[in-house]
Amino acid sequence: MLRRREILAAGALALAGLRSQRATAADEVVVGVLYALSGASAQNGVDARRAFETALDVINESHDLDLPAAKGAGLEGLGGAKIRLVIADHQGDPQKGRAEAERLITQDKVIAIVGAYQSSVSATVSAVCERYGVPFVCADSSSPSLSRRNLKYFFRPAANDEMFSAAMFDFMDGLRKQGKMIDSVSLFYEDTIYGIDSSNVQRKLANERGYKIAADVKYKSNSPSLTAEVQALKSAGADVLLPTCYTNDAILLTKTMGELGYKPKAIIAQAAGFSEKSVYDAVGDKLQGLISRASFSLDLAAKRPSVGIVNAMYRKRADRDLNDNTSRQFTAMLVLADALNRAGSTDGAKLRAALAATDIPGTRTIMPWKKVIFDAGGQNPDATPVLIQYVGTTFVTVFPESAAVAPAIWPMNA
Amino acid sequence: MTMQALVQVLASGLLTGLIYGLVAVGLSLIFGLMDVVNFAHGEFLMLAMYATFGLVVVSGLDPIVLMPLVAALMFVLGGTVYLGVVRFAMRAKANQGMVQIFATFGLAILLQGVAQYLFTPDYRSLQVSWLGGKTLDLGGVYLPWPQVFGALVSLAAFGGLFLLMTRTDFGRALEATREDQGAVALVGIDRNRIFALGWGLGAALIGLAGAVLTVFYYIHPGVGGAFALIAYVTVALGGFGSVFGALAAGLIVGLVEAATTLVLPPSLKSVGVYALYLLVVLVRPQGLFGRL
Repeated sequence: MLRRREILAAGALALAGLRSQRATAADEVVVGVLYALSGASAQNGVDARRAFETALDVINESHDLDLPAAKGAGLEGLGGAKIRLVIADHQGDPQKGRAEAERLITQDKVIAIVGAYQSSVSATVSAVCERYGVPFVCADSSSPSLSRRNLKYFFRPAANDEMFSAAMFDFMDGLRKQGKMIDSVSLFYEDTIYGIDSSNVQRKLANERGYKIAADVKYKSNSPSLTAEVQALKSAGADVLLPTCYTNDAILLTKTMGELGYKPKAIIAQAAGFSEKSVYDAVGDKLQGLISRASFSLDLAAKRPSVGIVNAMYRKRADRDLNDNTSRQFTAMLVLADALNRAGSTDGAKLRAALAATDIPGTRTIMPWKKVIFDAGGQNPDATPVLIQYVGTTFVTVFPESAAVAPAIWPMNA
Repeated sequence: MTMQALVQVLASGLLTGLIYGLVAVGLSLIFGLMDVVNFAHGEFLMLAMYATFGLVVVSGLDPIVLMPLVAALMFVLGGTVYLGVVRFAMRAKANQGMVQIFATFGLAILLQGVAQYLFTPDYRSLQVSWLGGKTLDLGGVYLPWPQVFGALVSLAAFGGLFLLMTRTDFGRALEATREDQGAVALVGIDRNRIFALGWGLGAALIGLAGAVLTVFYYIHPGVGGAFALIAYVTVALGGFGSVFGALAAGLIVGLVEAATTLVLPPSLKSVGVYALYLLVVLVRPQGLFGRL
């Protein structure tokens, strides 16, 4: 009897040994990706997945591109280990995001999470990551408050809405200097943290720089109708409309403006919905001359070959060009891979230290940024925002001067 | 706010309200007939919108022309859902109400998932249609033609429904079945047949709403959600099962929503509607025109 028990125990030990051996043979690094794959912003999740697949192609296979982790197959710092993604669906709901982040960390043992588009979801997901000491690379949520919470495991390579909005007002200041009359702005924003944070920054900037706020309209997202809201904007008749909306509301806003005969003199959008192909497919004719803030500009491909190559790789998967969102998702994964290479470990604390020490020159990214570094709050202060204008069927970079390929057409509706 | 802007908000509320009534009437009809709340009502609307969109793309015809075809397709869908799902849910020996709720709720999730799989979660929108983007300008008050047309369809549908319910044998059988399910069997009315036709009719009405909305709204697997919530409160406010209560309540919801935006921030515009509903519950829990 004793003998049998000994054999069993020895067997169990041997099995445990095999297991731990497998775990240390870092052939695979598991990264969690958290997006809405169902619900109103499911398309963002679908596009994000393709952006991450493109990033994995660059990281896991060998490419002759001047980008972090591109050369050589897999992660050099981890003996050529490859990244595997576990993709989870948060449905655009902060509470589901929290639960899914827990599951990814405790059950799938992910070493980092990348996400999550909606700022409201990134807020809960990053809090979970902080608790478990797992880095959260915030690819594409732009609320300034996210990087103001002194989280040690939060990293945002892209600009936030404070930086984006400052660029908008710098641009308008420049036009004023040229003698263009811009006196008033109308704020139009959705009712979650993304819209509210954006409006807070824009309200502050408008007051500081002497722009009258003609209308300040917070609306309910996913509304069946925006007629009354658009009526308020129309009555106010500001020189510039500053909308902060996701895709569905961007479409409905534009349609309703058309129906109520409201043609704003100019629109400068806080991207999100106004970066999406489906908006321009639906109502592009009414948005000629719209200006949007962006982290990405395809014009850059003329100067930097990697931009065009990566865009072609993405296009093959998604049948659309990289945009403001997908370019940031791609870049976030590369920033993580760069940190993994330098950390030489998947340990949370070591990876965090490597991320904090990130210093990638902008020329080694596909973005028009100066560089990728992180301040104490995990924000990259050098993610230079650009403004792009919708002309014909494409976007043209119009600001800042260093990135502009054409002067802005102003105003969009004379 | 100027007088003109005020008239604009109320006129828009009126048009929207009539469309809300059209969206809600199918739900009310089915509930009145057999006490089943169809939680897949929003998804029926979504399917009607995709059907309209798909037919427009394939045939090149205008949604207005295709409206009867969409209604017919939805009629078949509604009848099928009754015969294929609801009929079985109604056979539950205990907790029948819960079984019905979860059966239609499950159907809703399934339909959304299938739509996302087949049609992708990309937002669709009709580029060109006869009425799309056209607006009637009444001295500075803008009435978008698609909404005006939607409101007219709504009124016509309610008119047609009134005639059907009062002037035809089918309407009388429907009315009799909703009065007393047991007694109708004694006079030779097949309850199942009436129920299936009732579901078909309810779905056909949402088909009309879908075709109307396709002209001016975006299309997405989750599009039903925004309208379904409005439809539920409309039916509850108008009175469960009162078909014409749905028309009155739709109008009230549209107007109250619009009027709320005059005094509260637009992000709170549904507050007025729900406050009114709670008030109605206090005085008339069965709804304004309910007969329970």
